[in-house]
Amino acid sequence: MAPSWQVHALLPVAALVAAPAGATQYLTVEQAQKSLFPEAEHFVAAPLQLTAAQKAQIEERSGLKQRWDKQEVWRAEKAGKLLGWVVVDDVVGKHEFIHYAVGLLPEGRVRGVEVLIFRETYGDQIRQAEWRKTLEGKTLADPFKLDKDVPNISGATLSCRNVMNGVKRLLVLQQVALQAAP
Amino acid sequence: MSENLRHIARLQPLLGTWVEIRACGRPLRLERAVRCAYLHIARVQQRMSFHHGDSVLTRLNLHAHRQPQPVDALTWSVLRKAQAMWRSSGGLFDVTLAAPLVRRGVLPDHGFATLRAPVGGDALVLLPGRHVALRRPVLLTLDGIAKGEAVDRAIACLRRWGVRSAVVNAGGDLRAFGPQAVPLAVRGSDGRVYAAGTLHNAAVASSMLGPAKAQQQRFAACLVHPATPAQRFGPAQVWTVLAAQCWRADALTKVAALAAPQQRTALVARLGGRIVQVAAAGGEQAA
Repeated sequence: MAPSWQVHALLPVAALVAAPAGATQYLTVEQAQKSLFPEAEHFVAAPLQLTAAQKAQIEERSGLKQRWDKQEVWRAEKAGKLLGWVVVDDVVGKHEFIHYAVGLLPEGRVRGVEVLIFRETYGDQIRQAEWRKTLEGKTLADPFKLDKDVPNISGATLSCRNVMNGVKRLLVLQQVALQAAP
Repeated sequence: MSENLRHIARLQPLLGTWVEIRACGRPLRLERAVRCAYLHIARVQQRMSFHHGDSVLTRLNLHAHRQPQPVDALTWSVLRKAQAMWRSSGGLFDVTLAAPLVRRGVLPDHGFATLRAPVGGDALVLLPGRHVALRRPVLLTLDGIAKGEAVDRAIACLRRWGVRSAVVNAGGDLRAFGPQAVPLAVRGSDGRVYAAGTLHNAAVASSMLGPAKAQQQRFAACLVHPATPAQRFGPAQVWTVLAAQCWRADALTKVAALAAPQQRTALVARLGGRIVQVAAAGGEQAA
Protein backbone atom coordinates (compact mmCIF):
# COMPACT_ATOMS: atom_id res chain seq x y z
CA MET A 1 0.00 0.00 0.00
CA ALA A 2 1.47 3.29 -1.02
CA PRO A 3 1.51 5.87 1.72
CA SER A 4 -1.48 8.11 1.59
CA TRP A 5 -0.38 11.24 -0.10
CA GLN A 6 -2.75 14.06 -0.48
CA VAL A 7 -1.90 17.49 -1.50
CA HIS A 8 -4.03 20.27 -0.36
CA ALA A 9 -3.91 22.61 -3.22
CA LEU A 10 -4.68 26.17 -2.38
CA LEU A 11 -5.70 28.62 -4.99
CA PRO A 12 -4.89 31.67 -3.11
CA VAL A 13 -6.12 34.84 -4.57
CA ALA A 14 -6.61 37.28 -1.79
CA ALA A 15 -3.35 36.85 -0.09
CA LEU A 16 -3.70 39.39 2.65
CA VAL A 17 -5.61 37.17 4.93
CA ALA A 18 -3.75 34.42 6.56
CA ALA A 19 -3.29 30.87 5.64
CA PRO A 20 -2.68 28.39 8.39
CA ALA A 21 0.29 29.73 10.25
CA GLY A 22 2.43 26.80 9.34
CA ALA A 23 5.73 26.04 7.78
CA THR A 24 6.51 23.89 4.82
CA GLN A 25 9.93 22.36 4.82
CA TYR A 26 10.91 21.60 1.26
CA LEU A 27 14.55 20.71 1.55
CA THR A 28 17.29 20.40 4.08
CA VAL A 29 20.49 22.30 3.39
CA GLU A 30 22.20 19.08 2.29
CA GLN A 31 19.42 18.24 -0.13
CA ALA A 32 19.48 21.74 -1.55
CA GLN A 33 23.23 21.54 -2.07
CA LYS A 34 22.81 18.33 -4.05
CA SER A 35 19.92 19.75 -5.98
CA LEU A 36 21.83 22.88 -6.95
CA PHE A 37 25.11 21.13 -7.77
CA PRO A 38 24.28 17.47 -8.44
CA GLU A 39 27.71 16.88 -9.95
CA ALA A 40 29.65 18.08 -6.89
CA GLU A 41 31.65 15.60 -4.81
CA HIS A 42 32.06 17.71 -1.67
CA PHE A 43 30.48 20.70 -0.08
CA VAL A 44 33.00 22.50 2.07
CA ALA A 45 31.57 24.81 4.69
CA ALA A 46 33.00 28.30 4.26
CA PRO A 47 30.86 30.56 6.43
CA LEU A 48 31.34 34.22 5.81
CA GLN A 49 31.79 36.83 8.48
CA LEU A 50 31.22 40.15 6.83
CA THR A 51 33.07 43.23 7.97
CA ALA A 52 31.24 46.51 8.37
CA ALA A 53 32.99 47.77 5.25
CA GLN A 54 31.85 44.76 3.22
CA LYS A 55 28.29 45.16 4.45
CA ALA A 56 28.29 48.79 3.48
CA GLN A 57 29.69 47.93 0.08
CA ILE A 58 27.02 45.29 -0.52
CA GLU A 59 24.29 47.70 0.47
CA GLU A 60 25.66 50.42 -1.73
CA ARG A 61 26.08 48.25 -4.80
CA SER A 62 22.87 46.26 -4.51
CA GLY A 63 20.70 48.97 -3.05
CA LEU A 64 19.42 46.40 -0.57
CA LYS A 65 19.95 45.97 3.11
CA GLN A 66 22.45 43.32 4.18
CA ARG A 67 20.88 42.38 7.48
CA TRP A 68 23.16 39.63 8.59
CA ASP A 69 26.84 39.79 9.52
CA LYS A 70 27.15 36.09 9.02
CA GLN A 71 26.23 34.30 5.86
CA GLU A 72 26.23 30.54 5.53
CA VAL A 73 28.24 29.51 2.49
CA TRP A 74 29.46 26.19 1.10
CA ARG A 75 31.94 25.65 -1.68
CA ALA A 76 30.78 23.01 -4.16
CA GLU A 77 33.83 21.10 -5.33
CA LYS A 78 34.61 18.33 -7.73
CA ALA A 79 38.08 16.81 -7.90
CA GLY A 80 39.44 19.76 -5.97
CA LYS A 81 37.99 22.23 -8.45
CA LEU A 82 35.52 24.90 -7.44
CA LEU A 83 32.15 24.47 -9.16
CA GLY A 84 30.42 27.29 -7.33
CA TRP A 85 28.96 28.34 -4.02
CA VAL A 86 25.79 27.51 -2.19
CA VAL A 87 24.62 30.43 -0.08
CA VAL A 88 21.79 30.07 2.40
CA ASP A 89 19.81 33.18 3.15
CA ASP A 90 16.56 34.38 4.69
CA VAL A 91 14.13 36.96 3.53
CA VAL A 92 11.23 38.25 5.47
CA GLY A 93 8.19 39.23 3.48
CA LYS A 94 5.23 41.02 4.91
CA HIS A 95 3.76 37.85 6.30
CA GLU A 96 6.23 35.22 5.27
CA PHE A 97 9.58 34.01 6.30
CA ILE A 98 11.51 32.33 3.53
CA HIS A 99 14.65 30.33 4.07
CA TYR A 100 16.25 29.61 0.73
CA ALA A 101 19.47 28.53 -0.94
CA VAL A 102 21.09 29.96 -4.04
CA GLY A 103 23.65 28.24 -6.22
CA LEU A 104 26.15 30.77 -7.57
CA LEU A 105 28.58 30.02 -10.37
CA PRO A 106 32.14 31.39 -10.29
CA GLU A 107 31.41 33.72 -13.22
CA GLY A 108 28.72 35.45 -11.19
CA ARG A 109 25.62 33.78 -12.53
CA VAL A 110 22.80 32.10 -10.66
CA ARG A 111 22.68 28.35 -11.06
CA GLY A 112 19.39 27.96 -9.25
CA VAL A 113 17.21 28.96 -6.34
CA GLU A 114 15.61 26.46 -4.00
CA VAL A 115 13.31 27.27 -1.12
CA LEU A 116 14.15 25.34 2.02
CA ILE A 117 11.41 26.54 4.35
CA PHE A 118 8.40 28.68 3.60
CA ARG A 119 6.60 29.87 6.66
CA GLU A 120 3.54 31.95 7.17
CA THR A 121 4.01 34.21 10.10
CA TYR A 122 0.70 35.94 10.14
CA GLY A 123 -2.67 35.17 11.53
CA ASP A 124 -4.41 31.92 12.15
CA GLN A 125 -8.07 32.65 11.64
CA ILE A 126 -8.24 30.06 8.99
CA ARG A 127 -6.77 27.40 11.12
CA GLN A 128 -10.09 26.85 12.81
CA ALA A 129 -12.10 27.09 9.65
CA GLU A 130 -14.55 24.43 8.74
CA TRP A 131 -12.73 23.04 5.79
CA ARG A 132 -10.10 21.63 8.01
CA LYS A 133 -12.69 19.35 9.52
CA THR A 134 -13.99 18.28 6.17
CA LEU A 135 -10.54 17.12 5.26
CA GLU A 136 -9.71 15.41 8.47
CA GLY A 137 -7.96 12.10 8.14
CA LYS A 138 -6.16 13.24 5.03
CA THR A 139 -2.60 14.32 5.22
CA LEU A 140 -2.69 17.98 4.60
CA ALA A 141 0.78 18.34 3.34
CA ASP A 142 1.02 21.61 5.18
CA PRO A 143 -1.13 23.71 2.96
CA PHE A 144 1.00 26.45 1.78
CA LYS A 145 -0.31 29.66 0.50
CA LEU A 146 0.97 30.87 -2.77
CA ASP A 147 0.52 34.40 -3.76
CA LYS A 148 -1.59 34.53 -6.80
CA ASP A 149 -0.68 37.22 -9.18
CA VAL A 150 -3.65 37.98 -11.18
CA PRO A 151 -4.57 37.87 -14.88
CA ASN A 152 -3.43 39.65 -17.87
CA ILE A 153 -0.82 40.53 -15.59
CA SER A 154 1.99 42.15 -13.89
CA GLY A 155 5.07 41.76 -11.91
CA ALA A 156 6.05 39.34 -9.29
CA THR A 157 4.18 38.82 -6.10
CA LEU A 158 5.70 40.48 -3.12
CA SER A 159 7.32 37.59 -1.31
CA CYS A 160 8.67 36.34 -4.60
CA ARG A 161 10.12 39.75 -5.36
CA ASN A 162 11.78 39.73 -1.96
CA VAL A 163 13.57 36.53 -2.85
CA MET A 164 14.62 37.90 -6.22
CA ASN A 165 16.03 40.93 -4.41
CA GLY A 166 17.77 38.60 -2.01
CA VAL A 167 19.39 36.80 -4.92
CA LYS A 168 20.50 40.12 -6.36
CA ARG A 169 22.07 40.99 -3.03
CA LEU A 170 23.86 37.64 -2.86
CA LEU A 171 25.32 38.18 -6.31
CA VAL A 172 26.88 41.38 -5.02
CA LEU A 173 27.98 39.58 -1.88
CA GLN A 174 29.71 37.08 -4.13
CA GLN A 175 31.69 39.83 -5.84
CA VAL A 176 32.50 41.61 -2.61
CA ALA A 177 33.32 38.73 -0.32
CA LEU A 178 33.56 35.39 -2.10
CA GLN A 179 35.58 36.01 -5.20
CA ALA A 180 38.10 38.01 -3.26
CA ALA A 181 38.58 35.09 -0.87
CA PRO A 182 41.43 32.67 -1.62
CA MET B 1 2.55 -4.14 -3.67
CA SER B 2 4.12 -1.52 -5.83
CA GLU B 3 7.80 -0.79 -5.59
CA ASN B 4 9.20 1.67 -3.16
CA LEU B 5 7.86 5.12 -3.89
CA ARG B 6 9.19 8.46 -2.78
CA HIS B 7 7.49 11.81 -2.41
CA ILE B 8 9.21 15.10 -2.91
CA ALA B 9 8.16 18.73 -2.84
CA ARG B 10 10.10 21.63 -4.30
CA LEU B 11 9.47 25.35 -4.46
CA GLN B 12 11.16 27.84 -6.75
CA PRO B 13 10.46 31.44 -7.71
CA LEU B 14 9.54 31.46 -11.41
CA LEU B 15 7.01 33.19 -13.67
CA GLY B 16 6.78 36.03 -11.19
CA THR B 17 5.31 33.74 -8.58
CA TRP B 18 6.00 30.64 -6.58
CA VAL B 19 6.03 27.39 -8.44
CA GLU B 20 5.58 24.33 -6.31
CA ILE B 21 6.03 20.80 -7.63
CA ARG B 22 5.00 17.80 -5.58
CA ALA B 23 5.70 14.46 -7.11
CA CYS B 24 5.67 10.80 -6.24
CA GLY B 25 7.56 8.10 -8.04
CA ARG B 26 10.54 5.81 -8.11
CA PRO B 27 13.34 7.30 -6.03
CA LEU B 28 16.10 7.20 -8.61
CA ARG B 29 14.40 9.22 -11.28
CA LEU B 30 12.24 11.51 -9.23
CA GLU B 31 14.75 14.27 -8.49
CA ARG B 32 15.83 14.51 -12.08
CA ALA B 33 12.27 14.48 -13.31
CA VAL B 34 11.38 17.45 -11.12
CA ARG B 35 14.52 19.32 -12.13
CA CYS B 36 13.60 18.77 -15.75
CA ALA B 37 10.06 20.01 -15.13
CA TYR B 38 11.43 23.25 -13.66
CA LEU B 39 13.58 23.71 -16.74
CA HIS B 40 10.48 23.56 -18.91
CA ILE B 41 8.86 26.24 -16.78
CA ALA B 42 11.98 28.38 -16.92
CA ARG B 43 11.95 28.09 -20.70
CA VAL B 44 8.40 29.43 -20.89
CA GLN B 45 9.46 32.32 -18.67
CA GLN B 46 12.51 33.05 -20.76
CA ARG B 47 10.56 33.19 -24.02
CA MET B 48 7.22 34.63 -23.00
CA SER B 49 7.97 37.07 -20.21
CA PHE B 50 6.82 40.62 -20.82
CA HIS B 51 9.28 41.81 -18.18
CA HIS B 52 12.42 40.40 -19.77
CA GLY B 53 13.90 42.69 -22.37
CA ASP B 54 15.36 39.72 -24.24
CA SER B 55 12.33 37.43 -24.43
CA VAL B 56 10.80 36.34 -27.72
CA LEU B 57 7.63 38.17 -26.68
CA THR B 58 9.49 41.46 -26.26
CA ARG B 59 11.02 41.02 -29.71
CA LEU B 60 7.52 40.58 -31.13
CA ASN B 61 6.28 43.65 -29.28
CA LEU B 62 9.15 45.76 -30.56
CA HIS B 63 9.36 44.61 -34.17
CA ALA B 64 6.47 42.44 -35.37
CA HIS B 65 4.39 45.45 -36.44
CA ARG B 66 7.13 46.41 -38.90
CA GLN B 67 8.32 43.02 -40.05
CA PRO B 68 7.07 39.47 -39.45
CA GLN B 69 9.21 37.75 -36.85
CA PRO B 70 10.16 34.08 -36.76
CA VAL B 71 9.37 32.40 -33.43
CA ASP B 72 10.20 29.10 -31.76
CA ALA B 73 7.71 26.22 -31.63
CA LEU B 74 6.83 26.79 -27.97
CA THR B 75 5.89 30.45 -28.37
CA TRP B 76 4.11 29.60 -31.60
CA SER B 77 1.95 27.00 -29.93
CA VAL B 78 0.92 29.44 -27.18
CA LEU B 79 0.11 32.16 -29.72
CA ARG B 80 -2.02 29.73 -31.72
CA LYS B 81 -3.96 28.74 -28.63
CA ALA B 82 -4.38 32.40 -27.69
CA GLN B 83 -5.69 33.27 -31.13
CA ALA B 84 -8.13 30.36 -31.16
CA MET B 85 -9.35 31.34 -27.71
CA TRP B 86 -9.79 34.97 -28.80
CA ARG B 87 -11.94 33.85 -31.72
CA SER B 88 -14.05 31.35 -29.83
CA SER B 89 -14.60 33.61 -26.83
CA GLY B 90 -15.91 36.42 -28.99
CA GLY B 91 -12.92 38.58 -28.09
CA LEU B 92 -13.19 38.25 -24.31
CA PHE B 93 -9.82 36.57 -24.12
CA ASP B 94 -7.39 38.98 -25.68
CA VAL B 95 -3.60 38.97 -25.57
CA THR B 96 -3.17 42.42 -27.14
CA LEU B 97 -4.01 44.35 -23.99
CA ALA B 98 -0.56 45.11 -22.65
CA ALA B 99 -0.38 48.77 -23.73
CA PRO B 100 -2.98 50.02 -21.23
CA LEU B 101 -1.06 48.16 -18.52
CA VAL B 102 2.22 49.75 -19.58
CA ARG B 103 0.51 53.16 -19.47
CA ARG B 104 -0.56 52.45 -15.91
CA GLY B 105 2.93 51.42 -14.99
CA VAL B 106 1.92 47.84 -14.25
CA LEU B 107 4.12 46.47 -17.03
CA PRO B 108 7.53 47.86 -18.03
CA ASP B 109 8.08 49.94 -21.16
CA HIS B 110 10.91 48.53 -23.27
CA GLY B 111 10.88 51.52 -25.62
CA PHE B 112 7.79 50.52 -27.58
CA ALA B 113 6.79 52.46 -30.69
CA THR B 114 3.45 53.52 -29.23
CA LEU B 115 1.08 52.71 -26.42
CA ARG B 116 -1.94 54.09 -28.23
CA ALA B 117 -2.69 51.54 -30.96
CA PRO B 118 -6.27 50.26 -30.75
CA VAL B 119 -6.27 46.92 -28.94
CA GLY B 120 -7.90 43.81 -30.42
CA GLY B 121 -6.97 40.25 -31.20
CA ASP B 122 -7.42 40.84 -34.94
CA ALA B 123 -4.04 42.62 -34.89
CA LEU B 124 -2.23 39.32 -34.37
CA VAL B 125 -1.41 37.46 -37.59
CA LEU B 126 0.16 34.01 -37.66
CA LEU B 127 1.93 33.44 -40.95
CA PRO B 128 3.20 30.25 -42.56
CA GLY B 129 6.64 29.14 -41.48
CA ARG B 130 6.07 30.12 -37.82
CA HIS B 131 6.24 33.85 -38.49
CA VAL B 132 4.27 36.32 -36.42
CA ALA B 133 3.12 39.74 -37.58
CA LEU B 134 1.13 42.51 -35.96
CA ARG B 135 -1.21 44.56 -38.14
CA ARG B 136 -0.70 47.56 -35.88
CA PRO B 137 1.67 48.21 -33.00
CA VAL B 138 -0.37 46.60 -30.21
CA LEU B 139 1.55 45.02 -27.35
CA LEU B 140 1.09 41.34 -26.62
CA THR B 141 1.09 39.89 -23.14
CA LEU B 142 0.81 36.16 -22.67
CA ASP B 143 0.48 36.29 -18.90
CA GLY B 144 -3.11 35.10 -19.12
CA ILE B 145 -2.17 31.84 -20.77
CA ALA B 146 1.58 31.19 -20.57
CA LYS B 147 1.60 30.31 -16.90
CA GLY B 148 -0.95 27.59 -17.57
CA GLU B 149 1.08 26.42 -20.55
CA ALA B 150 4.17 26.23 -18.34
CA VAL B 151 2.29 24.04 -15.88
CA ASP B 152 1.13 21.78 -18.73
CA ARG B 153 4.68 21.44 -20.04
CA ALA B 154 5.96 20.58 -16.58
CA ILE B 155 3.27 17.93 -16.14
CA ALA B 156 4.07 16.43 -19.56
CA CYS B 157 7.73 16.29 -18.61
CA LEU B 158 6.99 14.52 -15.32
CA ARG B 159 4.84 11.98 -17.13
CA ARG B 160 7.59 11.27 -19.66
CA TRP B 161 9.94 10.58 -16.78
CA GLY B 162 7.55 7.98 -15.45
CA VAL B 163 6.54 9.88 -12.33
CA ARG B 164 3.52 8.21 -10.73
CA SER B 165 1.60 11.25 -9.56
CA ALA B 166 2.28 14.96 -9.29
CA VAL B 167 0.83 18.39 -8.69
CA VAL B 168 2.36 21.46 -10.29
CA ASN B 169 1.13 24.71 -8.78
CA ALA B 170 2.24 28.01 -10.30
CA GLY B 171 0.80 30.65 -8.03
CA GLY B 172 -2.60 29.01 -7.98
CA ASP B 173 -2.71 27.80 -11.57
CA LEU B 174 -2.30 24.12 -11.04
CA ARG B 175 -2.64 20.74 -12.61
CA ALA B 176 -2.61 17.29 -11.06
CA PHE B 177 -2.16 13.83 -12.44
CA GLY B 178 -2.03 10.40 -10.91
CA PRO B 179 -4.28 7.62 -9.76
CA GLN B 180 -5.69 9.55 -6.81
CA ALA B 181 -7.77 12.68 -6.73
CA VAL B 182 -6.34 15.53 -4.67
CA PRO B 183 -8.52 17.71 -2.46
CA LEU B 184 -8.81 21.23 -3.67
CA ALA B 185 -9.39 24.49 -1.86
CA VAL B 186 -9.97 27.93 -3.23
CA ARG B 187 -9.15 31.18 -1.53
CA GLY B 188 -12.03 33.55 -1.99
CA SER B 189 -11.88 37.29 -2.46
CA ASP B 190 -12.56 37.61 1.26
CA GLY B 191 -9.35 35.73 1.90
CA ARG B 192 -11.06 32.71 3.37
CA VAL B 193 -10.33 29.26 2.12
CA TYR B 194 -13.14 27.16 0.77
CA ALA B 195 -13.20 23.50 -0.06
CA ALA B 196 -13.89 23.05 -3.74
CA GLY B 197 -14.13 19.32 -4.28
CA THR B 198 -11.29 17.29 -5.66
CA LEU B 199 -9.05 17.40 -8.68
CA HIS B 200 -8.34 14.26 -10.64
CA ASN B 201 -6.16 14.44 -13.74
CA ALA B 202 -7.29 17.97 -14.41
CA ALA B 203 -6.26 21.58 -14.05
CA VAL B 204 -7.67 24.58 -12.29
CA ALA B 205 -6.87 28.28 -12.33
CA SER B 206 -8.15 31.38 -10.57
CA SER B 207 -8.26 35.02 -11.43
CA MET B 208 -9.39 37.90 -9.38
CA LEU B 209 -11.32 40.78 -10.82
CA GLY B 210 -10.91 44.20 -9.32
CA PRO B 211 -8.53 43.53 -6.45
CA ALA B 212 -8.94 45.89 -3.55
CA LYS B 213 -6.39 48.62 -3.18
CA ALA B 214 -4.74 47.03 -0.20
CA GLN B 215 -4.23 43.87 -2.18
CA GLN B 216 -2.93 45.67 -5.22
CA GLN B 217 0.06 46.63 -3.21
CA ARG B 218 0.73 42.95 -3.04
CA PHE B 219 -0.44 41.86 -6.44
CA ALA B 220 0.19 44.96 -8.51
CA ALA B 221 -1.96 43.37 -11.13
CA CYS B 222 -5.06 44.12 -13.04
CA LEU B 223 -7.44 42.63 -15.50
CA VAL B 224 -8.39 44.71 -18.48
CA HIS B 225 -11.62 44.46 -20.39
CA PRO B 226 -10.94 44.34 -24.16
CA ALA B 227 -13.90 46.60 -24.94
CA THR B 228 -13.18 49.17 -22.25
CA PRO B 229 -9.48 49.09 -21.35
CA ALA B 230 -9.78 52.15 -19.13
CA GLN B 231 -12.44 50.65 -16.91
CA ARG B 232 -11.56 49.66 -13.40
CA PHE B 233 -13.57 47.10 -11.60
CA GLY B 234 -15.54 47.36 -8.42
CA PRO B 235 -15.55 44.82 -5.62
CA ALA B 236 -13.15 41.92 -5.86
CA GLN B 237 -14.46 38.72 -7.38
CA VAL B 238 -12.61 35.48 -7.78
CA TRP B 239 -13.19 33.25 -10.76
CA THR B 240 -11.99 29.70 -10.66
CA VAL B 241 -12.20 27.44 -13.69
CA LEU B 242 -11.53 23.75 -14.05
CA ALA B 243 -10.38 22.26 -17.37
CA ALA B 244 -8.40 19.36 -18.74
CA GLN B 245 -5.36 21.53 -19.48
CA CYS B 246 -3.99 24.31 -17.37
CA TRP B 247 -3.55 26.78 -20.25
CA ARG B 248 -7.25 26.43 -20.95
CA ALA B 249 -8.23 26.87 -17.31
CA ASP B 250 -5.92 29.90 -17.10
CA ALA B 251 -7.41 31.53 -20.20
CA LEU B 252 -10.99 30.70 -19.29
CA THR B 253 -10.77 32.47 -15.93
CA LYS B 254 -10.54 35.71 -17.93
CA VAL B 255 -13.52 34.69 -20.04
CA ALA B 256 -15.51 33.82 -16.91
CA ALA B 257 -14.60 37.09 -15.24
CA LEU B 258 -15.56 39.24 -18.22
CA ALA B 259 -18.54 37.41 -19.74
CA ALA B 260 -22.06 38.68 -19.32
CA PRO B 261 -23.56 36.97 -16.25
CA GLN B 262 -26.33 35.17 -18.13
CA GLN B 263 -23.90 33.66 -20.67
CA ARG B 264 -21.01 32.95 -18.38
CA THR B 265 -21.55 29.31 -17.46
CA ALA B 266 -22.58 28.21 -20.94
CA LEU B 267 -19.75 30.05 -22.65
CA VAL B 268 -17.07 28.64 -20.37
CA ALA B 269 -18.57 25.15 -20.80
CA ARG B 270 -18.58 25.49 -24.58
CA LEU B 271 -14.90 26.42 -24.49
CA GLY B 272 -14.01 23.32 -22.47
CA GLY B 273 -14.05 24.54 -18.87
CA ARG B 274 -16.25 24.49 -15.82
CA ILE B 275 -16.66 27.33 -13.37
CA VAL B 276 -15.99 26.12 -9.84
CA GLN B 277 -18.55 27.46 -7.40
CA VAL B 278 -17.35 27.90 -3.90
CA ALA B 279 -19.59 28.05 -0.90
CA ALA B 280 -20.53 31.57 0.06
CA ALA B 281 -19.90 31.02 3.73
CA GLY B 282 -18.95 28.36 6.18
CA GLY B 283 -16.59 26.65 3.81
CA GLU B 284 -18.95 23.82 2.95
CA GLN B 285 -17.85 21.76 0.06
CA ALA B 286 -19.31 22.58 -3.31
CA ALA B 287 -18.15 22.08 -6.84
